Amino acid sequence: MAAILEVTGLHKHFGGIHVTRDVHFSMQEGEQSAIIGPNGAGKSTFMNLLTGYHRCDAGKVLFEGQDITNRPPHNIARLGISRAFQISSIFAKMTVAENVRSAVHAQMRRSFSIFGVAARVGVEETDRVLDLCGLEGKRALVAGELAQGDKKRLELAIALAGKPRLLFLDEPTAGMSIEEARSTMELVDRLNRELGLTVLFTEHDMGIVFNHARKLTLMHRGEIVVQGTPEEVRANEVAQKVYLGEHHA
Amino acid sequence: MSANGNGWSRLYAGYGLSGPVALVMLVLFLLVPLLPGEYWTVVGTEILILGLFAMSFNLLYGYMGQISFGHAAFFGLGAYATAMLFMRLKTAGGEIGMLDFFLSLTAGPPVAALGALIVGFFCVRLTGIYFAMLSLAFGELLFYIVFSWYSFTKGDDGIQGLLPPLYFQDAVHYYYLTLAIVVVALLAMWRIAESPFGYIMRTLRDNQRRAAFLGINVRLHMLMNFVIAGAFAGLAGALWGPFSRSVSPGLLGWQESGIAVFMTLIGGAGAFVGPIVGSVIYTMLQAVVKMYTVYWPLTIGTIILLIVLFVPGGVLGLIEKRIKARQGRLADAGDGVESAREGR
Repeated sequence: MAAILEVTGLHKHFGGIHVTRDVHFSMQEGEQSAIIGPNGAGKSTFMNLLTGYHRCDAGKVLFEGQDITNRPPHNIARLGISRAFQISSIFAKMTVAENVRSAVHAQMRRSFSIFGVAARVGVEETDRVLDLCGLEGKRALVAGELAQGDKKRLELAIALAGKPRLLFLDEPTAGMSIEEARSTMELVDRLNRELGLTVLFTEHDMGIVFNHARKLTLMHRGEIVVQGTPEEVRANEVAQKVYLGEHHA
Repeated sequence: MSANGNGWSRLYAGYGLSGPVALVMLVLFLLVPLLPGEYWTVVGTEILILGLFAMSFNLLYGYMGQISFGHAAFFGLGAYATAMLFMRLKTAGGEIGMLDFFLSLTAGPPVAALGALIVGFFCVRLTGIYFAMLSLAFGELLFYIVFSWYSFTKGDDGIQGLLPPLYFQDAVHYYYLTLAIVVVALLAMWRIAESPFGYIMRTLRDNQRRAAFLGINVRLHMLMNFVIAGAFAGLAGALWGPFSRSVSPGLLGWQESGIAVFMTLIGGAGAFVGPIVGSVIYTMLQAVVKMYTVYWPLTIGTIILLIVLFVPGGVLGLIEKRIKARQGRLADAGDGVESAREGR
């Protein structure tokens, strides 16, 4: 199977601090994996580098064989890479439905359309995404006034509206209740299984990580420490020491 | 009575507060020339032209979330483009044909749009206070070019004698011409505001970074909106010259830009028709206050101060809040699902 994402020798430093150091990483199509690691390990930075938010100092990122290193975010998004943010990043003054609808319009390449009527463009896709994410009943609410869990769900909905082939989720369940987290991760599993969406997520809850990722990457101080199946990572001594230990102590 | 009430609430449900307000205003505007004397018809024309100018400003402020202190540059460019073509088309006898008059009006928007394209190219690289300051700098730059390029623009003398064809020299006729053009322009702006592009503008207002990760080329979209706003400002400027019979460099200056900001703040940037409501209040207030005192700047300064401090959403924002509060009470009593309308 072809690698959908291929990262080689990625470097990034802010001032004197190396936040990403010689990272080699790849994902197969249809894979669902997680990046774990303590706070400040460089997980979010890694995602920011892959999606064009930060510029890489060295290294190469290939998506479906195409070099996307240091391309602007909108360019990368258009190729089929979508992301959801750790701190929900939504359009606060717009309604839930308008949030998703505009994301759908962007995906449909209708963002420059000044003659269309927004309320009549991409209606089905908008409804489908809202339904998928369980936001159908909240479509008319102003996004900024949603509860934390719903904001995160909307965050995911916006990311999905772009019809991505590769999806990055930065702590998709942070701030959610246990029930919300479970249903969100079930949705992610379903997208991965049924639509073949390739998913990479970061997560602090080890229960979620071990239940929903088929491959794990442990980062520590900007470097990849261990990579492998959940069992392999769990059994790894270094992993025990830098991260898992503090959770399973 | 109840059928009437239903009509209003349907209008409100479909178009937000702007629906009923626009309808009431249209009826009132149609009736203005019935008032005795020419005075209020002339004031009404000014309200419409400056209202259109303020509406174009709000495409940047209310919809895109960027404040421009140099928007009058495009109002002035439109006014000068029309005025200069007007002077060329005038016959030796000092009159202008009907066709030539309309031709000169069409010069305003494209010239203003071209100016906005050049200025916008730089401004959209910035946001917030930096966007505001750069727009101000460009506005003043264009003001000084027009002010000092005497051989081309007649400098601070301005251009006089923009007397429209005889038919439109009548204040009522010019008023209705202005009303027709402004109504068509506002309908076009409404379409743009409710288009996919219009909602992309709202996403840029709320969260530019997120929009970029959806595949939106932020700067290119901002530039397009900047040009559209400039073109509408240019249309307002085109109407201004033949209305006041002259143009002067001050039309491009920061004080003129400030008028659009004031009107928008007074009326409310959150509602589509906010700026034109602001224009009604601002212009009429000015007309009245100037009858009694020379301290207009002091008066408007005080009003803006009070609005910014106590009514941050402007007049329409205040009304919207009242309606929401009432709906909220009704919803608490019943099972109503409150629907939200933003940016209309």
